[in-house]
Amino acid sequence: MKESKTDIQSDSSNTRLVTEEVFIGEDMPFEAPAKSMVAGSYYAAVEEVMPELTVDDDVLGESSGSSETSFALDRREFMKLFSMSALVGASACIPRPVEHIIPTTKQPVDHVPGIAKKYATTCGECSAGCGVEVKTKDGRPIKLEGWKKHPVNTGALCAVGQASIQGLYHPERPKHPMMKSSGRWLSTSWDDALERIGLALKTTSQVAIFTGALSPHNREFYLDFLKKMGASSADLYRWEPNNLQSAVAKAHQLAWQVDGVPRVQLSKARFVVGVSSDFLTTGVSPVYQGRGFSEGLSYQVSGNKGKFIQFESALTITGSKADKRFTIPVASELALVILLLESLANKVVQQGKITQQDPDFLLAQKIISSAKENLDSYKTMFTQEQLKALGQVSDELLMKPSCILSGGVEANYHTATQLQLATLLCNKLCGAYQEKILCFDEGWHPSSVGDGDILRFKEQASKYDVIFFINADPIRSLPESWGMSELLTSVETVVSIQNRPCPIDYYAKFQLPSHHYLESWGDNEALAGLLSIRQPTVRPLYATRQPEDMLLWVASFRGASLGYKDYRAYLQKKWQNKYQSFLKNVSFDVFIKSVLRWGWVGKLAKRRLANNLQDFSDVISLPSYQPPATGSLKLIAPYSYRLGDSRFSYLPILQEIGDSMSTIAWDSFAAINPHTCRKFGVKRNDVIRITLKQSSQGTSVSREVAVFPMPGVARDAIVIPQGGGVNDERNTIAHNLGINPLDVVGYGLDPLSKEPVTAGDEVTVTLTADKYRLAAMQKHNDIANRLDVFRKVGMTKLEGKIKKRKAAGQVKDLDDVPDLYPSLDKPETYMHQHKNEQKQSKITGQTREPSTIDYRWSMSVDLGKCTGCGACMVACSLENNVPQVGREQMNLGREMFWIRLDRYFDGDVDEPGVSFQPVMCQQCNHAPCEAVCPVFATTHDPEGINTMTYNRCVGTRYCANACPYKVRRFNWWTHKFGEMGRKPRDRTPRALNPDVTVRTRGVMEKCNFCASRLAAAKHHAKARAHDLGLPKTIAKNVQTACEQTCPTSAITFGNLKEPTSKVTRLRRDERAYLMLGGDPDHGHYGIKTLPNVFYLAEVVDDEFDTTSNHH
Amino acid sequence: MSHRALYFVVIEALLVCLLSSQVYGWWMWTPGDTVDDSTQNGLVAGYEPNQPIPFSHKVHAGDRQIACEYCHNGARRSASAVIPSTELCMGCHKVVAVDKEPIKWLTEKYNKKEPIAWVRVHDLPHHVRFTHQMHVIAGVSCESCHGPVKTMAKVGQWAPLQMGWCIGCHKENNASISCQTCHY
Repeated sequence: MKESKTDIQSDSSNTRLVTEEVFIGEDMPFEAPAKSMVAGSYYAAVEEVMPELTVDDDVLGESSGSSETSFALDRREFMKLFSMSALVGASACIPRPVEHIIPTTKQPVDHVPGIAKKYATTCGECSAGCGVEVKTKDGRPIKLEGWKKHPVNTGALCAVGQASIQGLYHPERPKHPMMKSSGRWLSTSWDDALERIGLALKTTSQVAIFTGALSPHNREFYLDFLKKMGASSADLYRWEPNNLQSAVAKAHQLAWQVDGVPRVQLSKARFVVGVSSDFLTTGVSPVYQGRGFSEGLSYQVSGNKGKFIQFESALTITGSKADKRFTIPVASELALVILLLESLANKVVQQGKITQQDPDFLLAQKIISSAKENLDSYKTMFTQEQLKALGQVSDELLMKPSCILSGGVEANYHTATQLQLATLLCNKLCGAYQEKILCFDEGWHPSSVGDGDILRFKEQASKYDVIFFINADPIRSLPESWGMSELLTSVETVVSIQNRPCPIDYYAKFQLPSHHYLESWGDNEALAGLLSIRQPTVRPLYATRQPEDMLLWVASFRGASLGYKDYRAYLQKKWQNKYQSFLKNVSFDVFIKSVLRWGWVGKLAKRRLANNLQDFSDVISLPSYQPPATGSLKLIAPYSYRLGDSRFSYLPILQEIGDSMSTIAWDSFAAINPHTCRKFGVKRNDVIRITLKQSSQGTSVSREVAVFPMPGVARDAIVIPQGGGVNDERNTIAHNLGINPLDVVGYGLDPLSKEPVTAGDEVTVTLTADKYRLAAMQKHNDIANRLDVFRKVGMTKLEGKIKKRKAAGQVKDLDDVPDLYPSLDKPETYMHQHKNEQKQSKITGQTREPSTIDYRWSMSVDLGKCTGCGACMVACSLENNVPQVGREQMNLGREMFWIRLDRYFDGDVDEPGVSFQPVMCQQCNHAPCEAVCPVFATTHDPEGINTMTYNRCVGTRYCANACPYKVRRFNWWTHKFGEMGRKPRDRTPRALNPDVTVRTRGVMEKCNFCASRLAAAKHHAKARAHDLGLPKTIAKNVQTACEQTCPTSAITFGNLKEPTSKVTRLRRDERAYLMLGGDPDHGHYGIKTLPNVFYLAEVVDDEFDTTSNHH
Repeated sequence: MSHRALYFVVIEALLVCLLSSQVYGWWMWTPGDTVDDSTQNGLVAGYEPNQPIPFSHKVHAGDRQIACEYCHNGARRSASAVIPSTELCMGCHKVVAVDKEPIKWLTEKYNKKEPIAWVRVHDLPHHVRFTHQMHVIAGVSCESCHGPVKTMAKVGQWAPLQMGWCIGCHKENNASISCQTCHY
């Protein structure tokens, strides 16, 4: 039986043939090979649906240094090695290398070599302050994990948090104090540097501190310091470039006259509307909100599912998780929310929830009437479908527990605070505050950053004689047009206290290296009333110091001591003043010790909101829509979710995971709508020049960048994420990679929150003849011609299937697959025969009972929950010592990820559906790779794992060819300590996980379900059984690195032999399917590899179910 | 490099490489490669390196009957059996045999807080993940792998510590012989 379906999908721009071969029946036991490339419903690259954008020759000239030279060099090296080995071999035998064991002179009581020790601390990479459990082995941190008892992240950690451990061991960390003397950098001693600064402070009181988000205690400390120096509290500037929080806080201040940012409890919401919202990536706490998304909006096992609709002009990760995503023109968010407000206000009154005299309704009317004039210019820009959807949206907002989330790094216009104000009113009308979906008491801590501090700093900076920049850098974070560099050259003494190479160092007189947060003391108050502690987990690796301690020294050199030995003593004092409000009946010593163990203590503060809003209608003025001129586009330069404003660009793993939407690593790219690309006549890898005309000065500035046609981007937009364009030789990872889009952002300011604007500037686009090959991974591990890779299913269809199966009394069984080779041993009996009989041990004399197999490991990946954030890739790489290969190797398709992230589009290129699929080794029970290995380097484990024995591997790469999932990775190089392809260095031996073998050149590797973690769990279970005198205990709650860190709990790992485990339940779920496993309900079993990994199909709301024409 | 010289080097290299497996061993173990295969480099029974001081297991474990786990106290709970800290030595040697030269040396080291660099005897290749804890729990005695330590004045490697030897015992005791038990 053969079914073939063909239908024509047509839209205004392109016609696409969708052909699907569903299955071939009993008469043909094997799947027929596809005759030609069949276009599936999903596309990984836009070229598949718009062939006119195809890049003819994929091997394009490199911009600098062809890769040819590197090979020539290595051939020569190879020859040298060979002839040298000949000499050595002929002359002498090689003695065994002598290794030493060096025990301590005095062993700490609680320390046993080889046993990992864990510390609770607080992540310092963003102001959210997730709880972190630091696993240290023999005194050095080897892996960070989210602390599962911490209320902010409950065990998860984002990609940046995971990667931060690379910052600790980074060879390019500033290591000793430097001083600029007549234009030259000199190394100096701490005493010298601090004394000089202290002396400089003696003559002036014009001193300021510029820093990022601070905890209240930290802020008090800096204020105390400034007071001692004769400065005032106005001389402390706190600013973060990711400024959604400022806009939200400002809006709440204007509307309710309260400080703070509400916490979004997505787990309570059933319907969420996003307007350029970025709550899953760069919002207040991506991890906290990711958890909420997973619990509230994604499909639950019990069958319910929330709904999420997003309107946006750039394609974001958050938007990709929407049930329906609408592409709107650049800078039309405010107009959209006002339209929504109009419809919402009318309906609220119609439904009798409030009267026409209600102040909220009157306020809404005021806003709408003042915007009326310019609103019409937008109406033509929204499609009919979008306007219709707005009506539906307002209906649903009133029916369900819901909220509207707006704004984010992609919508950082000068109307950002106005947008928040309009959204706030919408949220009040639909009851989001009442239903505690936007939770104001127990909200995010209000004042970690200052109100309008950045503008104040720009105005005041020139008056200071001494400015301390403490782990913050306005040169890096602000658009060039803000003129920070000129301002700072006029300041006499700039002191740069940083824990990574920063551009501001070049303007500084003193460069003082600061501790990494894993070496520091500190605390954080992410949620109001939740105190989270930060403690050192390792002795300082270099001659760095804690910034606060430096200031204490400076103060005492100036002769105005603060009276504290160090910052730790200061914190102790502060906590001592406070601790009785938490625990009354214990001594402070007991209290602080338990806090250090537990990581946090909290009593969330209640804050009340007034009933009525202030009238803020006068600050809302909707500008009219200005379409870009011909040959121009509107630039969006968002803060990157992985590289930030290039502050994380020095971490190789964050460069390597690449942007998940474009799959481009190690580069900047300009994302432009494919239709716009066609109009401009550019394709992928074509270099364009973008020029900003600065009307005020009559000058223009331009940058060149390669194009990536990105479906889903607004037609009038050009999106270039920040994070590139680092021009700093000390930072070899990011030096000369890509461009910094902030260079072509004009001076702009949100007049309400006083924050810089990074989106909406019109830039001219001109073509150049150059090409630059972007390291895009999107087609590297392509599973050609296969259709049953990714699945989406409509809600009703799924429920129907569940009912049908229940009625038939069946239970879904993914493992019920007719055996392709019935004569072969069943996987379980592999390598287990020897254990089947009772034996008398010759060694111990004990009787060994025949053993059973207690485990069959399996993993489920929920495609509806995966947001493509990349945290799993980082966690996996760090846990398993996976090297980063660098841009050149990546262009050759040699990335080493054990877990990769595939991204698929479906539907119209203007408003595509976007889906992510993490693909790791599927651990096939009938693995094609095992059969082809000539040296048995890859074999089957009785527990279902397809194991890889590195030292047996001779590198034939047959297995990689045989693998249908393309998950095997070959070591083309020994990525030695200090080398990455020919690029940067990440691997200091200290940064490697000592529990996992480091692989060398010529060896194949792949995911092994975190074998080291499995072993640790099994050992723990066995030791426990032994201690308790039980015959046996089974390892439970084993987590792989990827599962452990996943902010949305998309990955579930477990034991199928345990009938109550979550993974056993999920394997019977109706959504479960095996990749390339065909359609078992219709008797088609795909390639019959019987993987232990399975996927849960993404469930979409019926209204937007575009999947009904395929399975 | 001229064409001819290149040709010569290739021939030379290939010839010698074919003749000498030692060369192959060396090439496999280039500095920086951490999957070094120590079995190629003489990891055999009978290796008896000199230690900084002539510590005698015969005296301690044999004559004085000190239990192995008194000093190697990690064996029961950790992957590593643990070489005792100098402090543990000093527990006895503050009073025992204080007049002997090696003990004077030891005391000096202890007082100066200088750790002692003992020479490693039992050294598995880095691609083998061995844990003492599991073996002690399973009731395998120390002597099964380390030999008659109680009679050794100078400790040397007794067992071959090669994979076949491991597997033999694992099979005999119904222990796992899946590759991933030891290699990951």
